[in-house]
Amino acid sequence: MKRTSMWSFNLNTASLVLIPAAVGINYIGKLFAGALKLPLWLDSIGTILAACLAGPIVGAICGAINNIIYGFTLDPVSFIYAVTSIGIGVAAGILAYKGRIKTAVGAILSGLVIALVATVISTPINIGMYGGQTGNLWGDALFTWCTASHFPMWLASGLDELVVDIPDKVASVLIAFGIYKALPKNLTVLYKNDQKIERLD
Amino acid sequence: MIHKLDPNSKIIYIFVANIAPALIGARMATASFILISIVILTIGKVLHKTAPMLEFSGLILLTVAIIQGIFHQGNTTVAFALGSVVFYKEGLMFALGIALNVINILMSFSILVLTTKPSDMVETFVHMGLSPRLGYVMSSVFQIIPQMTKTMATITDAQRSRGMETEGKLKTRIKAFFPLISPVVMNSLISTKERAIALEVRGFGSKQKKTFLNDLQKTRYDDIFRFVLILILILSIFWRVLIWLK
Amino acid sequence: MAKIVAEHLKYKYPLSEKLALYDISFTIEPGEFIGIIGENNAGKSTLCQAMVGIVPNFYKGAYGGKVLIGDMEIAKSNISDICKKVGIVFQNPFNQVTGCKLTVYEEVAFGLENMGLPRSEMIDRIDYSLKLLDIYKYKDRNPFDLSGGQMQRMAIASIIAMRPEVIILDEPTSQLDPQGSEEVFRAVQNLSREGITIIMVEHKMEKIAEYSDRVMLLHEGKLIAFETPEKIFSRDDLDCYGVTAPAYTRICKSLGIKNKKTGFYPVTLEETKSLIGFSEKERCPYDQN
Repeated sequence: MKRTSMWSFNLNTASLVLIPAAVGINYIGKLFAGALKLPLWLDSIGTILAACLAGPIVGAICGAINNIIYGFTLDPVSFIYAVTSIGIGVAAGILAYKGRIKTAVGAILSGLVIALVATVISTPINIGMYGGQTGNLWGDALFTWCTASHFPMWLASGLDELVVDIPDKVASVLIAFGIYKALPKNLTVLYKNDQKIERLD
Repeated sequence: MIHKLDPNSKIIYIFVANIAPALIGARMATASFILISIVILTIGKVLHKTAPMLEFSGLILLTVAIIQGIFHQGNTTVAFALGSVVFYKEGLMFALGIALNVINILMSFSILVLTTKPSDMVETFVHMGLSPRLGYVMSSVFQIIPQMTKTMATITDAQRSRGMETEGKLKTRIKAFFPLISPVVMNSLISTKERAIALEVRGFGSKQKKTFLNDLQKTRYDDIFRFVLILILILSIFWRVLIWLK
Repeated sequence: MAKIVAEHLKYKYPLSEKLALYDISFTIEPGEFIGIIGENNAGKSTLCQAMVGIVPNFYKGAYGGKVLIGDMEIAKSNISDICKKVGIVFQNPFNQVTGCKLTVYEEVAFGLENMGLPRSEMIDRIDYSLKLLDIYKYKDRNPFDLSGGQMQRMAIASIIAMRPEVIILDEPTSQLDPQGSEEVFRAVQNLSREGITIIMVEHKMEKIAEYSDRVMLLHEGKLIAFETPEKIFSRDDLDCYGVTAPAYTRICKSLGIKNKKTGFYPVTLEETKSLIGFSEKERCPYDQN
């Protein structure tokens, strides 16, 4: 079956209904990381999963809505980080479409790529908002050391973000990959926006 | 009264409150808007609800002040010293600027968030031209988050009552949580099929222009409020131009 | 009112090797009450969904033949147009809630907003259907705070408000407790009296026998028979299709009591009573034997 472009905005209902579920999964991940006191965020598992299931556009919408909702309910600053979430969704969608997330090794490598994308987008925002910090304990410790050693601001801030993003995104992609594998195929096929009806006559 | 304002007016406020100080380029302007937001939130009787948000950002802002106060690259003037740790004026002022910006964003958004029902907000967006399909997605996320929080709380409680503490070795903690969380996650995904079908058979895919059960009304206050906001914006643009011409 | 006609309907789900529906043809007249029976995976739900266009428009897959509602051909129409003529209610009441509305009243309005109805007409229709389903008193509750039976009646009310000519109920009570089921069955009877065509899949054969004008028996995607309940339940090969006749029919079968006029076994309590001469005048049936 020939696949149409992954950039189609013509989203079917199943892939739209996937978005609230995915944002819910993001939230579970976040609560989970909090409850276990993990030094990670784990708040983009749903976005990555939705992007793998329904493509980069759904991934992007999922990321944007995720942060808009957090902005409304938890912390208005997260509105601004919607850009990062959109980047994560798009990157995961493209990687999945290109068939890069088919094995655990592929998932780990994709996690690294997504971490890099997230860092590149977040760092300028971190610098603009918080003078370069992320609010994560380990990241900010590194930031302090870098600043004390007279690293340039962008490098100190970038490393601050990257050191948290790498384990976080690798873990998130692996978990999303695990969920993807466990879902029945006759469900996942519904999220594809490019299926056609065959005639039997 | 604040609750009755059209969400649109509140969105305009957020816009003006964050753009005007940037145009004027003075910390006093940012501080004034924070003050205005606090007054509006007090009239709306929701000021106390900003506490958790402030707490969340406040912690980061505190570390920003400490780190920048000590290590900021432009540090030259000593402000004060705690033992052998020296804080510099430049870094502290830098941190103050950041804090004012963050608090301004927080307060201005809080007016919209704390005095508007999420469903009204989404409906306003749809009236303004947001696709009703995306409107659906947003309102259903607002419904899903409290449900998920409830489910997670139940799971955590069940864990505790079974004596599986959230403390202890990381591996055991993760092992204890996984079997409880995975059915919640899987069910939420599997039920998307039935929900999508249920929406379809109620005309969700309709090309017809949508109508609304609830109509939103603009009040007289909206006009006054908007007029003042736009005036402020124009004045600050004027100010910017003046500085630029000098 | 519209006739429903299926001609050589065939369907295969995506990724599946087997046909879920195999060459099905039938005609349903306006106002009829149709029961659909058969074992699990016989194709009952697929057939229901083929009458609202979910098959094939939602699932895609492979499709043959056609289904007509009046002059509307299902496979060539949008679900959003079909749903104005044919409504469907599913098993799980929880998953039918849109999940984007805060009150029962707004929930019922969802379909009407999508249809683009004017506000005053919406209110008339919502009030009418909430009252018909006897849930008007819950109109301001959150949909998720209702009991299963109430939620299912809300799902039916949501469909009724869209004024379809046909309502399909796919095992509407299978996930409800006995009280909830009774509430729903009472609502279904009310609808039938309103003259709406009703198609119901149900495992409780007593209910099928009591309400249906005709019954479809499905097996492995094929339509085995489409007859009156008496004729269907009098068949000797029912157990080959995983179906058990209503209790009254089974008792009369074992006793050899047939309705002399039709030549079939009785299917309801009333019919059984009259056959064995149990009437108000002669209170004790044992005197007759």
